[in-house]
Amino acid sequence: MGIIGTAGERQHTHPPERADDLADMELPDQDGAEHRLGDYWKDAPAVLVWLRHYG
Amino acid sequence: MQSYRERGAFEKEGAQLVLIGQATPRHAAHFRRRQGIDLTVLADEKRRSYKAAGAKVATLNELVGPKVMAKGLISSMRSRQPQGRTIGHPAQLGGTMIIGRDGSVAWSHMSEDASDNATPEEIVAALRGI
Repeated sequence: MGIIGTAGERQHTHPPERADDLADMELPDQDGAEHRLGDYWKDAPAVLVWLRHYG
Repeated sequence: MQSYRERGAFEKEGAQLVLIGQATPRHAAHFRRRQGIDLTVLADEKRRSYKAAGAKVATLNELVGPKVMAKGLISSMRSRQPQGRTIGHPAQLGGTMIIGRDGSVAWSHMSEDASDNATPEEIVAALRGI
């Protein structure tokens, strides 16, 4: 691990072919209410954006 | 945040936008207020979903290298919004993924460096292709 948590060596992204591992994850929203990720694409496609930070 | 501003285009293609950040619900609430977002923002303090999505942690050069800084400056000038304080793991990168109703990952663009983000146009084109 490098300065401020940076990787010492270049990493590679590895998005999965299926979102099965993501589907059952529950994450809280801004009010603390839990949301199951898989519910977002149950009825229609979902665009998930992972923010680098809340800046 | 460009994705949020263009979310109407995604909805027109029948998809909803989900924003996930790497901090606490309190930080997510602050972020929503600051950015004027009226969409749910999910908080993933432990970055479990980042790992499951295959997002990577940047090297120092991928975080603050000259190319990254130049692109970041241009982006801030275009959006007229300077980058705020970093919350969470400073070197964690994000990305974008389109997931279909069958749970398959129809398209993805995970960031290769801190300045590498999918454009709304790329996302709309990908939605039209699924």
